[in-house]
Amino acid sequence: MKNKTTRFLTISLVGVALLCVLVFSFLAVHMRKQSSGTINEVGTLYMASMSQQISMHFETTIGLQLDQVDALVQTVERERIHEDLAIQKRLISSAQALKFQYLGFYTGDGGFNMLFGSQLHVTDPDPFLESMREGERKVAIGTDEAGNSVVLFGVPTRNESLEAQSCVALVAALPVSYISDTLSLDENSDHVYSFIVRRDGSFVIRSADAYRSNYFDRVRDLYEEVGGRSPEEYLEQLQEAMDNNEEYSSEFTIEGERRHLYCTRLAHSEWYLFTFMPYNTMDGIVNNLSQQWTVLAILSGGSIVLVLLLVFMKYFGITRRQVRDLNDARMSAEQAQREAEQAQQEAEHAQREAEHANRAKSEFLSNMSHDIRTPMNAIVGMTAIATANIDNQQHVHHCLKKITLSSKHLLGLINDVLDMSKIESGKMNLNMDQVSLREVVDGIVSICQPQVKAKNQSFDVFIHDISTENVCCDSVRLNQVFLNLLSNAIKFTPEGGRIEVYLYETASPKGEDYVQIHIKVKDNGIGMSPDFVAHIFDSFTREDSARVHRTEGTGLGMAITKHIVVDAMGGTIDVESQQGKGSEFTVVLDLEKADVLEEDMILPNWNILVVDDDQPLCETTAAALQAIGVNADWTLDGESAIEMVTKRHHRGDSYQIILLDWKLPGADGISVARQIRRELGEAVPILLISAYDWGEIEDEARDAGITGFIAKPLFKSTLFNTLRQFVDDPKTERVKEVKQQHDLHGRRILLAEDNELNWEIASELLSEEGLVLDWAENGQICVEMLQASQPGYYDAILMDIRMPVMGGYEATQVIRTLDHPDRDLPIIAMTADAFAEDVKRSLDCGMNAHVAKPIDVGEVMRLLEKFILNQ
Amino acid sequence: MTLKECYAALGGDYDEAMGRLRSERLVQKFVLKFLSDGSYDLLCQSMETEDWGEAFRAAHTIKGVCQNLSFTDLGKSSSELCESLRGGHTPEADALAQQVKEDYQRTVQAIQTFEREMGG
Repeated sequence: MKNKTTRFLTISLVGVALLCVLVFSFLAVHMRKQSSGTINEVGTLYMASMSQQISMHFETTIGLQLDQVDALVQTVERERIHEDLAIQKRLISSAQALKFQYLGFYTGDGGFNMLFGSQLHVTDPDPFLESMREGERKVAIGTDEAGNSVVLFGVPTRNESLEAQSCVALVAALPVSYISDTLSLDENSDHVYSFIVRRDGSFVIRSADAYRSNYFDRVRDLYEEVGGRSPEEYLEQLQEAMDNNEEYSSEFTIEGERRHLYCTRLAHSEWYLFTFMPYNTMDGIVNNLSQQWTVLAILSGGSIVLVLLLVFMKYFGITRRQVRDLNDARMSAEQAQREAEQAQQEAEHAQREAEHANRAKSEFLSNMSHDIRTPMNAIVGMTAIATANIDNQQHVHHCLKKITLSSKHLLGLINDVLDMSKIESGKMNLNMDQVSLREVVDGIVSICQPQVKAKNQSFDVFIHDISTENVCCDSVRLNQVFLNLLSNAIKFTPEGGRIEVYLYETASPKGEDYVQIHIKVKDNGIGMSPDFVAHIFDSFTREDSARVHRTEGTGLGMAITKHIVVDAMGGTIDVESQQGKGSEFTVVLDLEKADVLEEDMILPNWNILVVDDDQPLCETTAAALQAIGVNADWTLDGESAIEMVTKRHHRGDSYQIILLDWKLPGADGISVARQIRRELGEAVPILLISAYDWGEIEDEARDAGITGFIAKPLFKSTLFNTLRQFVDDPKTERVKEVKQQHDLHGRRILLAEDNELNWEIASELLSEEGLVLDWAENGQICVEMLQASQPGYYDAILMDIRMPVMGGYEATQVIRTLDHPDRDLPIIAMTADAFAEDVKRSLDCGMNAHVAKPIDVGEVMRLLEKFILNQ
Repeated sequence: MTLKECYAALGGDYDEAMGRLRSERLVQKFVLKFLSDGSYDLLCQSMETEDWGEAFRAAHTIKGVCQNLSFTDLGKSSSELCESLRGGHTPEADALAQQVKEDYQRTVQAIQTFEREMGG
């Protein structure tokens, strides 16, 4: 495209330029030729008129002289001839008056009878004489005695007397210079010269440089060619014209000079006037003109070519720019097309994904239907069996147990689906609260222990580098994450397998106010295929293999976990898994440090021995103990422990406290404790480390000399709170069970509840726990009762939400703004509405916690303990 | 008729109630007290006067009482009615109210039978 245009343009330019050169060259040549022809014509015209002028001047001048002579002749004829002398005198005087220098009679034999002046001779007498005889007036050239050339003017006489004396004519003469002077032949012009020749070519009056007496001879002698002809040809043409009395005009180059000749016959004579005009001057002028013309032509041609070139360049530039623009446009069009294609691909991809998600949802729904039907079938079936055996109490009891299990399972499924739909509709929100990691882990451990025990799995929690126990987080969701990960681990690990939880902190990239919490849940269970790992966090998926079908659940657990961790809490979750080897989930969260001041946890400079077969646990525990001011040694087995204890005891530098794992290789903790007691007596407290409920072994342990128990995981605060009790009385032989059992006996609770029956039930149940309850029948009364109370009279309020006159939300808001010292006392919502939104709204209104109806005394007491004792 | 049979007759969960209230004495005390609870009358009255807010609260209270006493059937129907009235009156509310009425009458009949037999 570009080349084509360029070629076309170039060819056009060259063509037009050539055309210009041709046209102007042609014009130059043509005009040169034309001007040459024109000059010829002009020359001819000019020469003709010039010659005519000269010849007419000649004729006039000569005619005038002849007329004067004629007058003299008539004078003779009128005056009678016989008075000869008188006549002669008159003739002479008249002639002299007329400035003739010679006067005489011409005789029939060719002689002159001179009246005055010296004797004359006619140079060419014959034609002259003949003319005279025929009565023709004539001019001729002659010489005087001294040989001077003269011009003769002859007029025939018809005087008888003169005829008798054979006198035919009267002839007057003047020096020849008269003619040349009169005709100004020489000085006529610088450029034009003339001469007069006779018919035979002999000069009558010649030009200055002509030394030959005959023009024809001169031509023959001097010139090799005349105007492209030989001299003879030229002369022939010339003589022919002379013979015919025609005017002759010719142009030729002689001696490198272009000349124009004009030849015409002169009147009253046998003479011919030759006028020459050299072209030099004219040629110069014309050449000048044509040179100017040529220059002009070249200049105009050149300027046209130049302009064309400029136009071409400009056009070429424009074309190139257009081509460039076109290219750009084409490229951007291609780009746009590519983008469109990409967008289409993306759209197709999105469509595929949507279809896939849809399919997954349908599959999920069908799976779910199945999953829901299974417990439902169990419930329905068991109900039928129970109904059929209604009298067999044991059988019915068994059925109800099964039904309860199935119901719980069904509820779990439905909760998961509800959570998922909340996540999917973006309605999941976090209730940020101050959370103790220790409490969370404690809770998780106690929840998981029954399941772990049931499957006879080993379960360990490793805590290290936890400097900040209290963080801001949604405890319910954090629990959910832990539980999902752990319940998966328990579920997919066969009996006797191993499950480990690691929890540690690192500095957070989000700043000093944050800590980064790493939670790792590791098992040696069945693991997952790489394909499934890739989709584990997708909604509505579940490893679809026969072995998994046995296990229960919606398959939403991991998706929910991921949403909580990544989307809601801004953390990360990773998984490593190998089929048959086990899985490892790692959750990393950046959590804000809670702004409570941690207690100054410092213990006396004790020496403590930690005995556990798990080295990481020993190390982290020792580190935690160092952090609270205690020197800690550790060892991995019972034998070395006994050795170390004995050695120090003999040195008189006994350990103040010994922490002993319940399960040790070789001998268990209890037998080791027994041996240590044997060595040390009762002086040193020995605490048994256990992750499990120690109720089963407590009696045996006490018998063996165990002072108390300490619960895994061993947080700094756990260690501090447990060991603190030995500060005041380190020699105490028996301490109370370490687990804190808070006593709320005698605490006064205000219960707002509009329904009497509900009030009675709550009152009855809580009174049994030692609480004292006052009843407010609605929110308004509740506010009034609190307002009227002595400061510190009530320890907490249990608040129903739906009440006449004033509801629970409103009442709480009013209480929080009361002018009463107890306005910040704990308020716990109790309602039959158990949606997350209700919980959130309760907290938003200023309540401290929320419990669902029906009343669960354990839960209510737990919350009351938490809030009352923490006040 | 034992208390347990009474629970079976009114569609409740005796074991659950026992788990919560811990003694048959308390369960019996509160079950008998249920007869004098005014929430149902309040519900009927407010449905009559089309005071939907009050009807919602009454249904809610019945639901709460039933949950505490583990009156499963009545608890379920009152809960459904409660939800249907949460945002004001809905078309299905009337049918649900009818269900509540049936369950309530069944419950009251069972308790009255139990009371009579106990007294007798």
